Amino acid sequence: MIVAKLIDTTSCIGCKACEAACQEWNDQGLTAGMAKSDDGTYQTLPSLRHDFWNLIKFKEVTREDGSFTWLMSKYQCMHCVDAGCLEACPAPGAIFRRENGIVDFDHDKCIGCGYCITGCPFDVPKLSPVTQKVYKCTLCSDRTSVGLEPACIKACPTNCLTFGARDDLVRLADARAESLRADGHATAGVYNPAGVGGTNVLYVLADATRPEDYGLPRDPTIPWQVRLWKGPLKWVGNAVLVGGVVGAFLHYLRYGPKEVEE
Amino acid sequence: MRVLRFTFAERAVHWMTAISFLYAALTGLALWSPSLLWISSFFGGGEAVRRWHPWGGVSFAVALGLIFRNWSKDMRLDSEDRKWLSQAHRYAVNDESGLPEAGRFNAGQKVLFWTQSVAALLLFASGVALFWPEHMPRGLRLAAVLVHPSAAIVSIAGILIHIYMGIAAVPGALRGMVSGWVTEPWARAHHPRWYRESVKR
Repeated sequence: MIVAKLIDTTSCIGCKACEAACQEWNDQGLTAGMAKSDDGTYQTLPSLRHDFWNLIKFKEVTREDGSFTWLMSKYQCMHCVDAGCLEACPAPGAIFRRENGIVDFDHDKCIGCGYCITGCPFDVPKLSPVTQKVYKCTLCSDRTSVGLEPACIKACPTNCLTFGARDDLVRLADARAESLRADGHATAGVYNPAGVGGTNVLYVLADATRPEDYGLPRDPTIPWQVRLWKGPLKWVGNAVLVGGVVGAFLHYLRYGPKEVEE
Repeated sequence: MRVLRFTFAERAVHWMTAISFLYAALTGLALWSPSLLWISSFFGGGEAVRRWHPWGGVSFAVALGLIFRNWSKDMRLDSEDRKWLSQAHRYAVNDESGLPEAGRFNAGQKVLFWTQSVAALLLFASGVALFWPEHMPRGLRLAAVLVHPSAAIVSIAGILIHIYMGIAAVPGALRGMVSGWVTEPWARAHHPRWYRESVKR
């Protein structure tokens, strides 16, 4: 069964219980600089960190008609079906997909190159300056593997967060978007970007035409540079390498050395 | 009769470049694909390779810079070289009659020198972009993941030919780069203009 997390941004109240639960379950605590932000927002940190995997983004948005909204949405690893981090990783097994769809990191195998940071279209993986390895949300794979829901889901007081079978949640997300549209939010919809094959973290947005208002990229994809690098360029390189060695050997057999009469 | 082809300083710098190159190329291959990470086990494992590959590259760039200082004047391509290059296929099949006479370096060696110099600049610049994944703009890093391996492929291809010629195709060449000395017939056969103008006198 593929699992997923649904984030209904319309019922997020910005309480940060999910942030606290994530820090606590993953034993990361609060460190200096986290508790208070001095950039005039409610947001705990400007972006995710190697020791902070779940961040509520607070966005103040003025609409074209002059109306003002204060948007809150939880941000973390999207557990892409077509994962850019996995595509870019050179260490076998360091990034892997679990049977239930979770994209997870094995830190014993991570070599700290940071290619996943470049491959990720969501700016999620972060390098620890201490261990020189990369960290991100695991969708609480250590909880879900024993039948528990992720810590953030457990802590959410508003039912903004739901965890379950992906197919069920896609249906639930569509239904919520539908009821929002019936309530007058004509542009409400589901964020499940096709450019990365869909994600195992789904959003319901009151205005799905403007995902960047929520801090979500509009059309995330695995960058074509990464695809070219890990696809055709790899085969060109392999061909040159093998062709060079075989070619040199055959050349020697055919033409031999340039002997000089002494 | 023996002829001094490379001074101690030239040889030392050449081998510093060669060893740095081999290290950087092999550890680079380890990072090239998940199916090649096993190479890293000869160099202390994946983490050690990630940590030291960039410094192997810096060492290569510095050593190549010293080679550049030693040889860039001798490496200028002239009209004779262009003629030589247009007939390089004849050199490749050991039919050298009618090829322009080579000076201290033949045109093939000169092309290798300039190829490696440009490749090293590209490798260094893109390597810097890859070194700090969290502090470099993403656009730069995305360019670098293409430039770095592309330049490496060109560089490795050139060095494959260079190594093949040095250890197999041109007997006596390796001794020249190790001991510094070549025989007079060798110099006359492979670098006649150099032999005539600089050695014989």
